[in-house]
Amino acid sequence: MLKANDIGYWYDRQENSLFEHVNLEFKSGHSYAIVGQSGSGKTTFLSLLAGLDKPRAGQIELNGEPINQLGLTNYRRSHVAIVFQSYNLLTYMSPLNNLLTAMAVTNSSHRGDKAFAMDMLRKLGITDEQMTKNVQKLSGGQQQRVAIARTMVCDAKIVVADEPTGNLDEENTQYVIEQFQKIAHEQHKCVIIVTHEPDVAAACDQSYRLAKHEFTVEA
Amino acid sequence: MNFFKRAWLNLTAKKGRSILLILVTSAIMLFVLAGLLIRNAADTATSNAKQRVGATLTLSANREAAFKKMRSGSSTSKTSRPKLTTSPVKLSDAKKIAKLSNIASYTATVSTSANAKGFSAISTSGSSSAGGMKGMGGSTTSSGDIAISGVTSTSTTSAFENSSSKITKGRGITIADEGTNNVVIESELAKEDGLKVGDSIKLKATTGTKQTYTLKVVGIYKASASASTQQGPGATDPSNSVYTSYTFANTVKGTKYKNTADSVTFNVSDPAKVSAAKKAGKALINTSRYSLTTDDSSYQTVKASMANVKSFADKIVWLVAIAGTIILALIVILMIRERRYEIGVLLSLGEARWKIVAQFFVEMVMVLVVSIAIAGAGGKFVGNQLGKQLVSQQTTTGTMSTQQGPGGGAPGGNTSDTKPAGNMQGGGAPGSNSSMSSQKQAELAINVTALDLVELGGFGLAIMFLSIMLASGGILRLQPKKVLIE
Repeated sequence: MLKANDIGYWYDRQENSLFEHVNLEFKSGHSYAIVGQSGSGKTTFLSLLAGLDKPRAGQIELNGEPINQLGLTNYRRSHVAIVFQSYNLLTYMSPLNNLLTAMAVTNSSHRGDKAFAMDMLRKLGITDEQMTKNVQKLSGGQQQRVAIARTMVCDAKIVVADEPTGNLDEENTQYVIEQFQKIAHEQHKCVIIVTHEPDVAAACDQSYRLAKHEFTVEA
Repeated sequence: MNFFKRAWLNLTAKKGRSILLILVTSAIMLFVLAGLLIRNAADTATSNAKQRVGATLTLSANREAAFKKMRSGSSTSKTSRPKLTTSPVKLSDAKKIAKLSNIASYTATVSTSANAKGFSAISTSGSSSAGGMKGMGGSTTSSGDIAISGVTSTSTTSAFENSSSKITKGRGITIADEGTNNVVIESELAKEDGLKVGDSIKLKATTGTKQTYTLKVVGIYKASASASTQQGPGATDPSNSVYTSYTFANTVKGTKYKNTADSVTFNVSDPAKVSAAKKAGKALINTSRYSLTTDDSSYQTVKASMANVKSFADKIVWLVAIAGTIILALIVILMIRERRYEIGVLLSLGEARWKIVAQFFVEMVMVLVVSIAIAGAGGKFVGNQLGKQLVSQQTTTGTMSTQQGPGGGAPGGNTSDTKPAGNMQGGGAPGSNSSMSSQKQAELAINVTALDLVELGGFGLAIMFLSIMLASGGILRLQPKKVLIE
């Protein structure tokens, strides 16, 4: 489904590249973990998969078509949903409006369906009272659940997450791990998670380690 | 159209910031509206002045040509002292001009003097040898203690038009008084001699057969205090000025003056067309004998004053609009910097950049709508205060400039030097004062209309659009990865 085709990335000079000649393939219905030390380039690699940046070499392909040709904005809108460590919700809105906005922006098939969004929030443990409050009044774990719910109401087939459990306690971490697995296996989406946490990596179907500018498959 | 909803949610969620934005925008809109209102009011005042102030053409003897003729005569004949000979205006010539399309009405003026007989003229020190001043407009008369203003109608004379003289008892002279010996006298003269409407007075001509005429008092007028104090050297007391029909004044002057006038004043229907009327009038007269002069000074004073007010109002509008655009652009730039995170989230969701710019624009338009309502409520007050200040400055300037002409405050009270009205009339009761009329006319009627608000809305939208365009460079360059990940 999603393929990193001989991609490379560097900031100033190619000699100092974060990684080069990376060839990886990600399939729908599977979950993937990318692990590695801080500063190794995991998040940069994820931003390339999410269409937030362009590789310096090679290209990302979606079903055989370079995402550059689709247009990165269009790619983000229609094909990919992103979960960040710091949730990245619209802070002046309620959880419900965050979901409705995401559905509207991404032209989701459930666009405007308030009941669908509320149902999704309920499934993720957000009460009716909480879903109409300002999102900043929720705890970190609840905000991350809202962020995950946002990916679930959109039609994107690829879900990328950058350290989604980085700010969460153990209980919430476990909850989030379960949700991502459900997204991959029940909604048949391709889930790619950058993480430091062994539990998160262990829960995924496949793990890649980025070390010394190269990706290796973890056992 | 989700950006409309986002704009609304943002404005309602951040109430404090929205109120501050509304206050800043309201202040800008208030001054733009005040400028627009003053500009529109100045336009209206100028067009009203066309109708109300009026302009005149005056047909009189061509003194310049007469002086030239006198000088050429003196160079050929050195035996006798040359005399200035001017021709009175023939009414038949005046009637030709009166038929022109731009002429609304006309009034003939004949000035002369006579001596009071059987009653006493008001005597003031220095005025005993005064009376008609010689050679001021064509006729040469001996002096008498009563100044006679022969007119077609008192109501069309400038003294009565500008209310410096008012009929207090009886009536004024009208066209129906042609051929009669009816007279209108000044109230002080009437009081001193115990005269009232219906009484008769006698005047003795100072020239020719020195005949005595009996006149019937049909009205008493009161000259304003300022007119009474405007007498110049050698003038009789203004209370000794009487009004008769021009035909009677001609009779006193002598038979050769029948069907003539010292001057004829034509009221031009549209002051803007006074030059065209003058050109057409000149084609109908012998310009070596007569001169046709214009007096649209009151109109020009109001027009110039309003042009200055309008020009200042224009500057207010543009300065405030430019300053407002800069202020709002800076505010929007700061606002956008503060909202980089939100923009990053929207970009990561795949929102088009133009829709993010549109969201900010819609937010500002919502602020603008409230601000226009506030400005509409306060605009009249600010416009009135600013307008009063501007008009008062302009009127002061206008008054000073009209009073600084040669012989300012001269007998006759006529600031225009284009009315050689024959003999000066006893210290200036009749005459006009352009600064007075300009003060009266140069008032701004400031009202907020729906059209003003629409115009303000247009300005506001332009300001908002420019502000957003100036500030949106940041949005167009913003990379979501830098905001959300790095």
